[in-house]
Amino acid sequence: MDALGDYVWPRATSELILLPVTGLECVGDRLLAGEGPDVLVYSLDFGGHLRMMKRVQNLLGHYLIHGFRVRPEPNGDLDSEAMVAVFGSKGLRIVKISWGQSRFRELWRSGLWNMSDWIWDVRWLEGNVALALGHNSVLLYDPVVGCMLQDVPCTDRCTLSSACLIGDTWKELTVVAGAISNQLLVWYPAAALADNKPVAPDRRVSGHVGVIFSMSYLESKGLLATASEDRSVRIWKVGDLRVPGGRVQNIGHCFGHSARVWQVKLLENYLISAGEDCVCLVWSHEGEILQAFRGHQGRGIRALAAHEMQAWVITGGDDSGIRLWHLAGRGYPGLGVSALSFKSPSRPGTLKAVTLAGSWRLLTVTDTGALYLYDLEVKCWEKLLEDKHFQSYCLLEAAPGPEGLGLCAMANGEGCVKVVPINTPTAAVDHGLFAGKVHSLSWALRGYEELLLLASGPGGVMACLEISAALSGKAIFVTERCRYLLPPSKQRWHTCSAFVPPGDFLVCGDRRGSVLLFPSRPEVLKDPGVGGKAEAGSGPVGGDSGTDGSNAVAEWSPVSTLHSLHGKQGVTSVTCHAGYVYSTGRDGAYYQLLVRGGQLQPVLRQKTCRGMNWVAGLHMVPDGSMVILGFHANEFVVWSPRSHEKLHVVSCGGGHRSWAFSDTEAAMAFAYLKDGDVMLYQALGGCTRPHVILREGLHGREITCVKRVGAITLGPEFQVPCLEQPDFLEPGSEGPGLTDIVITCSEDTTVCVLALPTTTGSAHALTAVCNHISSVRAMAVWGLGTPGGSHSPQPGLTANIVSAGGRAEMHCFSIVVSPDSGTPSGLACHVMHLSSHRLDDYWDQQRNRHRMVKVDPETRYMSLAICEPDRPGVGPLVAAACSDGAVRLFVLQDSGRILQLFAETFHHERCVLKVHSFTHEAPNQQRRLFLCSAATDGSLAFWDLTTVLDHGSALLEPPAEPGLPYQLGTPCLTLQAHSCGINSLHTMPTREGHHLVASGSEDGSLHVFVLAVKAPELEEAVGEPELMPQLHVLEEYSVPCAHAAHVTGLKILSPTLMVSASIDQRLTFWRLGHGEPTFMNSTVYHVPDVADMDCWPVSPEFGHRCALGGQGLEVYNWYD
Amino acid sequence: MGRTSKDKRDVYYRLAKENGWRARSAFKLLQLDEEFHLFQGVTRAVDLCAAPGSWSQVLSQKIGGQGPGRVVAVDLQAMAPLPGVIQIQGDITQLSTAKEIIQHFEGCHADLVVCDGAPDVTGLHDVDEYMQAQLLLAALNIATHVLKPGGCFVAKIFRGRDVTLLYSQLRVFFSSVLCAKPRSSRNSSIEAFAVCRGYDPPEGFVADLTKPLLDHSYDSDFNQLDGPTRIIVPFVTCGDLSAYDSDRSYPLNLQDGSEYKYTPPTQPPISPPYQEACTLKKKGQLAKETHPQDCPISRVDALSQPLAAIQCHTVLGPEIKDNKMNCTP
Repeated sequence: MDALGDYVWPRATSELILLPVTGLECVGDRLLAGEGPDVLVYSLDFGGHLRMMKRVQNLLGHYLIHGFRVRPEPNGDLDSEAMVAVFGSKGLRIVKISWGQSRFRELWRSGLWNMSDWIWDVRWLEGNVALALGHNSVLLYDPVVGCMLQDVPCTDRCTLSSACLIGDTWKELTVVAGAISNQLLVWYPAAALADNKPVAPDRRVSGHVGVIFSMSYLESKGLLATASEDRSVRIWKVGDLRVPGGRVQNIGHCFGHSARVWQVKLLENYLISAGEDCVCLVWSHEGEILQAFRGHQGRGIRALAAHEMQAWVITGGDDSGIRLWHLAGRGYPGLGVSALSFKSPSRPGTLKAVTLAGSWRLLTVTDTGALYLYDLEVKCWEKLLEDKHFQSYCLLEAAPGPEGLGLCAMANGEGCVKVVPINTPTAAVDHGLFAGKVHSLSWALRGYEELLLLASGPGGVMACLEISAALSGKAIFVTERCRYLLPPSKQRWHTCSAFVPPGDFLVCGDRRGSVLLFPSRPEVLKDPGVGGKAEAGSGPVGGDSGTDGSNAVAEWSPVSTLHSLHGKQGVTSVTCHAGYVYSTGRDGAYYQLLVRGGQLQPVLRQKTCRGMNWVAGLHMVPDGSMVILGFHANEFVVWSPRSHEKLHVVSCGGGHRSWAFSDTEAAMAFAYLKDGDVMLYQALGGCTRPHVILREGLHGREITCVKRVGAITLGPEFQVPCLEQPDFLEPGSEGPGLTDIVITCSEDTTVCVLALPTTTGSAHALTAVCNHISSVRAMAVWGLGTPGGSHSPQPGLTANIVSAGGRAEMHCFSIVVSPDSGTPSGLACHVMHLSSHRLDDYWDQQRNRHRMVKVDPETRYMSLAICEPDRPGVGPLVAAACSDGAVRLFVLQDSGRILQLFAETFHHERCVLKVHSFTHEAPNQQRRLFLCSAATDGSLAFWDLTTVLDHGSALLEPPAEPGLPYQLGTPCLTLQAHSCGINSLHTMPTREGHHLVASGSEDGSLHVFVLAVKAPELEEAVGEPELMPQLHVLEEYSVPCAHAAHVTGLKILSPTLMVSASIDQRLTFWRLGHGEPTFMNSTVYHVPDVADMDCWPVSPEFGHRCALGGQGLEVYNWYD
Repeated sequence: MGRTSKDKRDVYYRLAKENGWRARSAFKLLQLDEEFHLFQGVTRAVDLCAAPGSWSQVLSQKIGGQGPGRVVAVDLQAMAPLPGVIQIQGDITQLSTAKEIIQHFEGCHADLVVCDGAPDVTGLHDVDEYMQAQLLLAALNIATHVLKPGGCFVAKIFRGRDVTLLYSQLRVFFSSVLCAKPRSSRNSSIEAFAVCRGYDPPEGFVADLTKPLLDHSYDSDFNQLDGPTRIIVPFVTCGDLSAYDSDRSYPLNLQDGSEYKYTPPTQPPISPPYQEACTLKKKGQLAKETHPQDCPISRVDALSQPLAAIQCHTVLGPEIKDNKMNCTP
């Protein structure tokens, strides 16, 4: 290391960590959360909310925090300061913190004490702490000085999976140890005759058939609870455990989790458990489930805390999210189902349909043609009218808007529609529309100005009725405005309708799954000034249906159609909100659509929760978020996409029966017909829940790829109030806020857009794209720009992204990130889906596929690279490394809207792990595109894409059959760089016109070489296709034991500096350019299983940033 | 995702089923042997953490067939019997187990100790890595009792943050320590195998199973946490390049022309810990939270209390009053 010279080599410091939350503890009204080696401190604010107060960095060095133990204060005053023992793995540190006057201060911290073994539990014994260690021994430790006072092992030195210390003095200290043999061992360290003399266990308790992961002891009731691998929680009556020889009785064996149970906590009246199934259950001590909190994503809940005074349960997830839930005992108050006792001798007939007019009036019709009103406040039935024309078949829909605008509509089998003012049913208006059955009925409301009723009749004709009220409010007028024609299908009727603001268009969904756009006033459209954009097909079509009586009326076709968007089961609702149209369908998805230039454009398909295949509707909650209504088997579910929480679950019997939903700020109501009666579910507080997301989770599974897209400079008006460390600003963090936009993708099938401000050291998830059906493994970015284009640039950023992963699936979408002061990050991100591709597309179209064995491999895309040819008319190429041994090239055209397979090669014959593209530019030479691919056998192949793109080149063999891709010929250079799989690859041009190529492998080795390109002179190349560039290796170096595990991240930062990251959790800098790469320095980071790394320079003041993605995300920075 | 899906993604899983191995890991031992000739001259072998028994299968085939060869398999869990393999259901941290092994070898020591055991991973990396290290150290501890000098020890390791501490520990007991990865082990997996040859305990070392071997800690001279000196042992890839690639997805009809036929797994797990929970789930007997509508539904006129607004932070009294609004009989 003497060669370092006077140059100061960079040293990376951690700036941001997003890891599973593994420790949580309530201290007074504060919450401590352990994330990696850092502690997040949350505090109650004046509004009664917990808010992030401060991040205390790097308390445990390279260890991760697994728990906190607050030193009990004799006077019980934890409101101003507290002494906290922080432990995890083999590390322990004590911090003294104060939070008087809503200001957080760290008063003192001890050294970081390293133990010889894993710490399972810590307990304060007056001034010292007792530690329960990994192989069933107990230490008495002075945490201030850092010295061991006593070390007592148990005679049975088995490996433990959990331990619990009980007692407040060394004399009464009791150890309950969860042994690998699934037993509980109870023993007393103070029984040791001399130091280091083993103590025999006092009791052994068997019961669980799996390892015990967590224990909790409730002294006041003499109960012990254990959580186990066998998916059960057991409650034991143990009495006072500090007394030897007591009887242990299993009083409860609770099965409720569908996976391993990680955590358990006993409270005075409850038992809380949480596990791998991401569910937190609240049990009574008798073993009955009272509440279930669902919402975390991924591999489960890792940490649990409770605040009995506030009735809070706080959970920390593997997704790095933290949530606060309210303990409410048995169910929520103000919520429940009641039968409305319709059946009575005075009300003959059976119920056919139900609807809700606002939140307090319910309407229903019977097969006798009678319309009844039920007032939810007065709680009594009232018959509004009876019309024998509406017997046996009757549709019923209440108008939208507050209290349904006091209107409802009925339709019958003879083509007649009746509009009924609820308060004056005698003023009902009948309107004959069709000669046959009215198939469907729906309303559309624009502000309070325009109210339309749409009715579908025979032959796909949809009549549009305009409803208006007389000034007196006593009478209503129904006039037919126009007729529309739906596209042909077997069940040719519409299912839903809405106005598209400002109101020129109506959007409708039909039974065939198509979403249609109609002009709301088609007669006006004929005027060329207004309807200039109307398609030729939108003109009036003569009454070709022939079935309706009024042939004179013209029928208008849709101006725009998204055919079968929701599949054969049909569209269930359309909603307009914030500039987008949302449609839901029975295909289990909802679409975000855009109306642009009189055309419907799909933006994004969104999935709902698992198992909800029948999405019935979408509803905007007063707080601005959105909830999804749907049916999950026989249950009606209100689900929040933001919190992934099922807000309401009603066992109604499924979506086929008549139902109605209404929601106001005060209450939410859901009515349905069951057993010949009307059932009503009501919930005070509407669709919201008092649960709080203290911190949003990121990805539920491992991050597989991380890419920086670009940066946005936000003016001072968008400055986010910085809650964290206002007094410790990093140098260079002043001035305009620079925010990096980073995308991550994960095994949880989503792609996430993140904003990482350079000033605050925080991360904001802007949006998530969940179009993939399998894990997403790779991404590539191209076409970076600013909103408004180069002519009128606006602040913000646009980019195109292509993502790929399992099941040979690839998606292409664009993002627009722009300033938005209304969001916590100061940014808003809009996503538009452009195109997708699947290799096995043909399989889905096969009719009898369930009976056949699918022979072709389930290819995974392992890595992507974008190659941008400079030739006009040729879109960028996407190179994909495939697990079936191929390197495939795709062509992107029409700025990403068309994605096609172009060529492939099976040169490697093994799983291809990495692809990387680079360009070679030299004076007097054509710019050349190269692709480098790397496989599991440690070989690299270089491909000359410029020659490949020259049609007629020998490098590209035409396909054997039309429709199949071209075959790439032989690579222009192959090289055996490693003995096994190559997990990272990067190149950089040198000043000499060569290329520096670096690769890192599974065996922990690095390989660096200089590649020289000898290209044919530009003039000669014309007409002589055999003149291909020659590649030579000039210098070649290998570092065999650079890391102890896979090198998964590698970047050449400059011709003299390289950084590598590995699964052994070291970020190492290497010096290049002087023969062999030399080790500079290395930093231990906290993200396990790092799969990808990206580095970029931010600014001269801020230096470089580096994002590491694996089981979490960590951002480092360093200065040059 | 059909049942053939795993066959396509993992060719060794499929080959193991087709060749009657209890797990795909059998190929790993075969490939390790290809490289290191582990079974040469071995007559007594111990398989620690043997279940489900694929390594024992390989050992019995390679050693047990040669007349005097003996294979002892040890596991905490019950394992379906295997011909030519002596089974001990016991704890490898107990001295009695070590004595029983020696007894089966008629007082002789073993030539080879292998351990392919791994804990059930929890997903928390530091815990999993620690547990795996403890398993390896427990295997090493019992190996010090049963292994003859010059003997060979092969054990699974996770190459995580602290793997260099394990290397330094193994180096104390063996003259040669290598890290090997068979080609049948996937690139994406952090597992590898420590191949330790020439058992040579330090002078004065007394094997003692009553005390666990604890892992080493970082050292500022020989094995630094973040410095340039770390004990990283040489890495060897085993198995030749013509072998199947474990990361590659293969079509169901492999190139040798044989027609694909679905084979069910050879040996399903014996009584896993989650068995009872699964049975209950199948029968629909897992405890469920009580939805309000599951309570007996009252007549609407019987509504006993007006709906009360939810309080933001209700103080939990000593006794919780359940809201019986809809639960009155």
